[in-house]
Amino acid sequence: MSHLLEVRHVTKKFGGLTANSDISFNVNENEILSVIGPNGAGKSTLFKMISSFLPTTAGEVLFKGERISNLKPHVVARKGVVRTFQETTIFKSMTVRESIIVAQHLRARASLAGYFWGTKTAHEDVDSFGQYADDLIDFLGMTEIANEQASNLPQGNLRALGIAIGLATDPKVLLLDEPFAGMNHDETMKMVNLVRKVRDDRGVTVLLVEHDMPAVMNISDRIVVLNFGEMIAEGTPAEIQNNEKVIEAYLGSADDEIGI
Amino acid sequence: MEQILANGIYLGAQYAMIALGLTLIFALMNVLNFAHGQMYVLGGFVTYTFYGQLGWPFVVALLASCITLAVLGALIERFLFAPVIRRSSREESTMLLAAGLAFFFDAVILLVFGEKQRGVPKIVDGVFNWDFRLIMPYDRILICVLAILSIVSFILFMQYSKTGRALRALAQDRTAAQLMGVNVARYSMIGFALGAMLAGLVGGLLVTITGVNLGMGGPTSIKAFMMVMIGGAGVISGAIAGGIILGFLEAIGLAVLSQYGDITYLLIFVSLMLFLAIRPQGLMGKPWG
Amino acid sequence: MIQWAGVVIFLLAVFIAIPGFIAASGRSDLYYTLTSVALLSIASAGVWLTFYIGRINIGQGAFALIGAYVSAVLVTKAGMSFWLSLPLAGLFAAAVAVVIGVPILRLRGVYFAMISLVLTQVVTLTALALPITNGAKGITSIPLPGGVSALGLTLIPDFATLENPRLAFYYAASVLMVLTFAAMYRLVNSRLGHLCRSMQQNEELASSIGVNISYIRVIVFAISSFLGGIGGAMFGSIAQSVYPSSFQVADSVNFMLNCFLGGLGYVFGPMLGTLVLYFGWDLLFELGRFQLLAYSSMLIILMLFLPNGLLSLRLPGKKEADK
Repeated sequence: MSHLLEVRHVTKKFGGLTANSDISFNVNENEILSVIGPNGAGKSTLFKMISSFLPTTAGEVLFKGERISNLKPHVVARKGVVRTFQETTIFKSMTVRESIIVAQHLRARASLAGYFWGTKTAHEDVDSFGQYADDLIDFLGMTEIANEQASNLPQGNLRALGIAIGLATDPKVLLLDEPFAGMNHDETMKMVNLVRKVRDDRGVTVLLVEHDMPAVMNISDRIVVLNFGEMIAEGTPAEIQNNEKVIEAYLGSADDEIGI
Repeated sequence: MEQILANGIYLGAQYAMIALGLTLIFALMNVLNFAHGQMYVLGGFVTYTFYGQLGWPFVVALLASCITLAVLGALIERFLFAPVIRRSSREESTMLLAAGLAFFFDAVILLVFGEKQRGVPKIVDGVFNWDFRLIMPYDRILICVLAILSIVSFILFMQYSKTGRALRALAQDRTAAQLMGVNVARYSMIGFALGAMLAGLVGGLLVTITGVNLGMGGPTSIKAFMMVMIGGAGVISGAIAGGIILGFLEAIGLAVLSQYGDITYLLIFVSLMLFLAIRPQGLMGKPWG
Repeated sequence: MIQWAGVVIFLLAVFIAIPGFIAASGRSDLYYTLTSVALLSIASAGVWLTFYIGRINIGQGAFALIGAYVSAVLVTKAGMSFWLSLPLAGLFAAAVAVVIGVPILRLRGVYFAMISLVLTQVVTLTALALPITNGAKGITSIPLPGGVSALGLTLIPDFATLENPRLAFYYAASVLMVLTFAAMYRLVNSRLGHLCRSMQQNEELASSIGVNISYIRVIVFAISSFLGGIGGAMFGSIAQSVYPSSFQVADSVNFMLNCFLGGLGYVFGPMLGTLVLYFGWDLLFELGRFQLLAYSSMLIILMLFLPNGLLSLRLPGKKEADK
């Protein structure tokens, strides 16, 4: 296994505040790696830096040996590293199918002018977008809601729609932003299965940021733990479960998210 | 040098007052009040009528300007903006309404006061002259002092009165203010009235110096927008800073570049655009308002 | 099928029924009104397109003015044919839009609206300051568009030799309008339109799926300004003169109003909005001094009862779905 994604000494400071300090870890091809930590541990800041939605203060993120930090988000997406958002960030007045078709932007072969004039390549693209969308909808089990407007969907489906939009770009690495937040046990298990299916059937490497411990333990191959902006542990779920620092951090936070 | 400084303070103080009203309305209701310049003109005409035509004391006329505009602002909020905000599926609709209002005020001013430039007798005579280094008519000094006093009392009002605190809470977070028990509908109305009143007050003050005419509305609105952009939309300190900065830029430009005609404003516009490219939220604004 | 029938009826109305009606009724002043509607709706279509990427554009007057001046300068100073100067005017406006757009398109919401409003004033002042635009005196006595012929065939007759140049301008403006809206319809329903919609709904999500949002924004703004330039250039040619005040802030606001009134969700909204507003204004001319009062009252009442535009009438219950 080679390192697909490398996070190297990444640091982020907001004014005098250090949100992330010297974080380094690797993500291997075809694995599911989770970054966890109590609220305010700097998870989402790190997430944004990996997807270039925030610049780093120091350090860099490499994908297949190429730097992907401090670029523009769409450039990172073009390289194959695509993030999802939490449920409120969707194309509200598009249907599920329309969203997935739009999200296949990176698969387009014709130019924008080509689509305007309706060249042969453009027609082929449009057909292929439709087909790919139908495949993806089928794969994600969203056939029944394919023509629903996104703003009318219940929360659980929105999360899946977010992942569908991400997958439509045909990514190598999918970055998931708190995919289990606010879900009950059944919904969480469904989502865990979905993410695993994405990895197994589509060969997509998954990096997710989450604070739902049980779900993370269940789904991850490896886990990275952050606390107060620092990385305090890295390892398999079994290793993490027995790591004293981690237990301390989670007990110390006196949060109701403790699930070990 | 002293002259430019004095002119800058004089212009800046009045501009800041115009910008304050605009930014207050924006902060409270997310409404870009296109009719702000027209409200200013209307305030000028009210003072013109009472002081210039009827010969009442200036202070009374000024008060009449304030009251007229405050009542007008309150009515506009209650019967026009509030319903449109409620019914519209996009917030931009209020912009159309505000533009319609700007035309409407122009029409009313045209019908009632006509197109001509109107002036009023000077409130005080004489010119302050310090060795020809600084020349300023006394009435300008008086208006400038009054403007600064108004700004200070506005800040004190916003800072310490119960109404002011409620307005600030509302501006910061509508939902939170509602949860805290602030009567949102009532304070939106009060805020709009206050913003309109400020416009009327400046109009009343300035009619004594520049006079007033129908065509002043639009350009005044544009200047107010610029000040708000410089300082940051919806921020009180930003509006004051924006007003003062624009006032000084204008004073300097007029002194240094006067032989090139209208080039001052062109330069101000261009630098504003460059500034916003670097700092889109203005000096003190929150990103994206 | 029904759509095609609609298009055919529309074209027949514009190119045959309306000129026929005007000839029969002898109201040739209507040509000028309708020509204006056609040209203003072209410029409004541009504004509508910027709305489509979620930017409130109140600066179209600036680009119309630029277009008018570029065409006027090319025709009077360089002796160029108007028909060649027309696309050049559009392209020049588009080029200016690219330069200005790169910094200001990063602004959103009210900020973009405000800076775009300022643009009109900037161009007016530039026109006053530059020598080539002849300051406040403007450029006058612009010759009427000349003829175009190829291979001995007259494609466009010389307007100056025509008995009725008004009719010719009406046809020219209508052709431009039809082309503009056909292109707009195509654009909105092609990939670029889809990307615009995605950006209108969420720019961050759009960039996360690999859309170069700053590039698309500039492209769209350039197209929008191109249309503004074309509309302005044609206007200048009809009036045979351009002044710094030919397009003012109020015109920019009107372009925006046309779009709002027609409804921002519909490609043909700007056309309808322009027609209604311009005709409304014209009909109210009878009222004399009360014209502006009646017009603005009408606007306010429309906003109060139809805040989502005229075409929203067609789709009852759509509002619920949008929420």
